[in-house]
Amino acid sequence: MKKLINETICILPCNGLDKSLGVIAREVSLKVIEKMSDVQLICPVLLNNGDEKYETLIQTAKIIIINGCMTRCPTKLIEERKLKPFKQIMIPDMSKKYKVKPTKDLILNEENIKLADLIADEIIADLNKSDQDKDNAIREFQEQEFFDITVDKYYFTVPKDGYFFNENDCWIKPEGNTALLGITDYLQNAAADILFVDLPELGSEIEQFDDVGSFESSKTVLQLISPGSGKIIAVNKSLEQNPEYCNQDPYRKGWFAEIELKNFEEDKELLMNGLEYFDYMKEKIMKEKNHLDQIKSENDV
Amino acid sequence: MSNSYEADKETFMGAPRNKIPWWPTIDYDKCNFCMECDKFCPHNVYAKSENDKKQLIVKNPYNCVVFCRACAKTCAPDALQFPEKSEISKLIKKLRTE
Repeated sequence: MKKLINETICILPCNGLDKSLGVIAREVSLKVIEKMSDVQLICPVLLNNGDEKYETLIQTAKIIIINGCMTRCPTKLIEERKLKPFKQIMIPDMSKKYKVKPTKDLILNEENIKLADLIADEIIADLNKSDQDKDNAIREFQEQEFFDITVDKYYFTVPKDGYFFNENDCWIKPEGNTALLGITDYLQNAAADILFVDLPELGSEIEQFDDVGSFESSKTVLQLISPGSGKIIAVNKSLEQNPEYCNQDPYRKGWFAEIELKNFEEDKELLMNGLEYFDYMKEKIMKEKNHLDQIKSENDV
Repeated sequence: MSNSYEADKETFMGAPRNKIPWWPTIDYDKCNFCMECDKFCPHNVYAKSENDKKQLIVKNPYNCVVFCRACAKTCAPDALQFPEKSEISKLIKKLRTE
């Protein structure tokens, strides 16, 4: 098991006993700790009561969150404490991924146990992945020139060359037959502090405009909508530990994934170059600013 | 800065937005009226129906950001469907040449 000195791994499930998704989340956690005795289970109810032992433990531990539904109670417990989870799982997402539809039964049945098994196995496999995960954040990036604009207290940049953009505020940087993907400075500004990223599966095939990952901030959950098509050949695992790279350096250290390009010449037909995207982004920012100024002035009257 | 895209955008990738049929379709057999999608969407795509029937509706389809399907992730019963992306891409390319 991948383990650093003094590193503890905790699992914090939803405890929603009134929904089958909560029951499945709980079951996933029990299956993980059954097979991995050094993973510690955290009771969300007790944590919510401010249990001292848990409060101390989560300050230094890697926390795996199992959310039953979008209410995301366990995530909120961690965010309230200004901590970042190591991994977050949503049962509905996993249900779609494994094509196992949970029933609404509150007593575990065969179908729901099957889903819990699949999710638990994935978590265990992930934890067992030793050091094979290279630090993919270390990439060579040439000096880059940027277009930039400051609006109120916000500063926005767009690389001048080498990147292409879609109107969903995501970029692609082709290099030969591969390309890196990421989100733009505009999108990271809109999201505010990014706390968690959900990276795509290695080896998966994506089409242009597919959702290839999501990221979550204290404000919202947003998607990376791919500007290009191809096969995922690398993901930036360092974002799981350092999601703030997306905010600090969205065009370099904050890259999400690398793809082997399928047909970039065709993809390019629906993309913008740096200057075109900069103009598009400026127009969008000014429209938003005018809209907000208008609301403010109406409220002041 | 707001995280919402401008709702009144008239074009998407150079094609008229009102000619791009991208918005969610609600499967009423599955929808449990939890309104999680409505709470999530910053573009006011959804609303509660104004008639007596307690129902979720797509009130502002053209506010929906083309290719965004983030709200579907909030839908536990999987009641939200979107058009086929490749068809929409083809349509946008065609509209751009008109």
